[in-house]
Amino acid sequence: MKVMSLRLVVAVILALIGVVALVLALDYEMGSARRMGPGYFPVVLSAILILLSLGEIVASLLRPEARSIDWRPMIMILGAVTAFGVTLYLFGMIPAFFAVIGLAAQSERHFGWLPALVLAAVTSLGAYLLFSRFLGMTIPLVQFGP
Amino acid sequence: MLENVLLGFATAVSPENLFYCFLGVFLGTFIGVLPGLGSLAAISMLLPISFYLEPTTALIRLAGIFYGGAYGGSISSILLNLPGTPSAAITALDGNPMAKQGRAGVALFITAIASFVGGMIGVVALMGFGPAIARLGLGFGPGGYFALVLLGLVAAVTVGGGSVVKGLSMTVLGLLLGTVGTDVTSGEFRYTFDFVEMRDGLSLVALCMGLFGIAEVIGSVHQAGARKITEKVTMRGMVPTRDDVRRSYGPVARGASIGGFLGALPGAGTVIAAFLAYATELRVARDKSRFGKGAVEGIAAPEAANNAAAQTAFIPTLTIGIPGSPTMSIMLGALMIHGISPGPLLVTDHPDVFWGLIASFWIGNVFLLVLNIPLIGIWVRVLQFPYKYIYPVVIALICIGVYSMRTSLFDVGFVVVFGALGYLFQRTGYSAAPLILGFVLGPMLEENLRRAMLMARGDPIRLVADPLTGSILSLSALLLVWAVFGAVRRLAHMRRLAERPSENPAENPAESPSGEA
Repeated sequence: MKVMSLRLVVAVILALIGVVALVLALDYEMGSARRMGPGYFPVVLSAILILLSLGEIVASLLRPEARSIDWRPMIMILGAVTAFGVTLYLFGMIPAFFAVIGLAAQSERHFGWLPALVLAAVTSLGAYLLFSRFLGMTIPLVQFGP
Repeated sequence: MLENVLLGFATAVSPENLFYCFLGVFLGTFIGVLPGLGSLAAISMLLPISFYLEPTTALIRLAGIFYGGAYGGSISSILLNLPGTPSAAITALDGNPMAKQGRAGVALFITAIASFVGGMIGVVALMGFGPAIARLGLGFGPGGYFALVLLGLVAAVTVGGGSVVKGLSMTVLGLLLGTVGTDVTSGEFRYTFDFVEMRDGLSLVALCMGLFGIAEVIGSVHQAGARKITEKVTMRGMVPTRDDVRRSYGPVARGASIGGFLGALPGAGTVIAAFLAYATELRVARDKSRFGKGAVEGIAAPEAANNAAAQTAFIPTLTIGIPGSPTMSIMLGALMIHGISPGPLLVTDHPDVFWGLIASFWIGNVFLLVLNIPLIGIWVRVLQFPYKYIYPVVIALICIGVYSMRTSLFDVGFVVVFGALGYLFQRTGYSAAPLILGFVLGPMLEENLRRAMLMARGDPIRLVADPLTGSILSLSALLLVWAVFGAVRRLAHMRRLAERPSENPAENPAESPSGEA
């Protein structure tokens, strides 16, 4: 299978965003040029976005570029942020820190779990002192269930 | 005028404000030193902490972070050749060769002094022209504002170089993202997908943290681990030779003038300032071969320029309410969170904020100097600390920072989405800066367009017929034509050279995806 051009993928994503935005915006009232409704501006914008990304799609088909993605850090770090959100919702701030740091550290092969645990413990302590003690924010530290 | 300046200093010199200014400079430098992160990341990460402060104190602290972040970025680009911001990438061109020759200390010293002098010249320009431009801004109607915002957006895309189509797509995407939430005029919910959380619109901090913070970290995980610092930097090693000093006067003066002028234009920003200052030095130098091999002029000029530009960039932000860069957008957002709307009335209605902020720029710059020269050893040690132990903590701080802004898990989810998009954009040469500008300026653009069209009775000709609106709009059109023409010429040039794509961000700073100092 031929390797897909990353440039093309991004241009297609942008075009799709434009199409979805256009379809949704058609539901809003357009109004007239004199009295623009809430739909006027988004319709014009998404049309422009579609046109521009069509241009990019054509350009990237004519001249494919070899660009690659560093999959491991991308998946680990995005996963880490997701895990932070989920863990914070379910178990509170301290477990969330362990989740995000433990996963983010795995972007590096051979990171080891012990350094990750130490890092997470230090960060949790720092965040507790800064957010809960110094700033008086009320984020639950540890809890069970949402 | 003098009375106002004194009022400003009286506000800024209170012990509390001094403390937060110091803290801001310290934290900003710390984050800026981390590879891949510049002052935009520093400001976004530390913004939530400022909610609990008085508006003036919060702004003073943010300004401190802003300078600190910019200087910290220069440290990592000189020592590691891994610039945190595109404007620091230009400093790396000559700074890193100097470090390799064992003159890292001198390079860092010249950077600090040139930044300081450039910053000071920029502040003087801000004090001199700010109020005058604010008075000018009072005469702008909705049409004029619409045209001015559009000019800023077009300038951000065209002046920076790179692909116009990609830049414009980012701007338009930003404008679209800016329409999410409640429409101010009709009260209708747009793109909220029936979520209550979306009615207030997307979070600017979540957007910045995803597009810059997360994306930059993903991109630098493997790059940063591979580089090591071997140079020793001591305070004694920072003393420049007489020849270094003599060579620096001219470049600093020229750089500061170029930067001061360009910074005030909407959309031009610090990157272009640093780039043009470097190009100017290259042109006036008698011995061009020294550049790129550790010429002092090659650090002094761009550093003076980007700091002067960073100062004068506050002119459009504070007096007209149109920020010229993503970093300025965050500053603008911070002002609005504290209930202050920047614009022509800021200078007259909140003189303590305006002049207090300006006074804090002076103090922040002085702090930066006294902090960074003695502390240079600490920053070098931060850089020597393995990056793999730093970035997981950075990710954790981004998460908690975004969450605590609005205590919203929704925003954490957006960080994931924008982080993924941001990394893809970065890999394919889309710059996220115009996207942020579009997002921030979108609502202003739409509202003024609607009002202007109402006044022009729906007739675009009538809108353009207004001399002010018409001339600003034609300026934008000219810029666009010039950029497209330039792109066509470049394409022809590239075909001749049989293009070689460069992977090193230091080699093509204009296309680097991160924000600016």
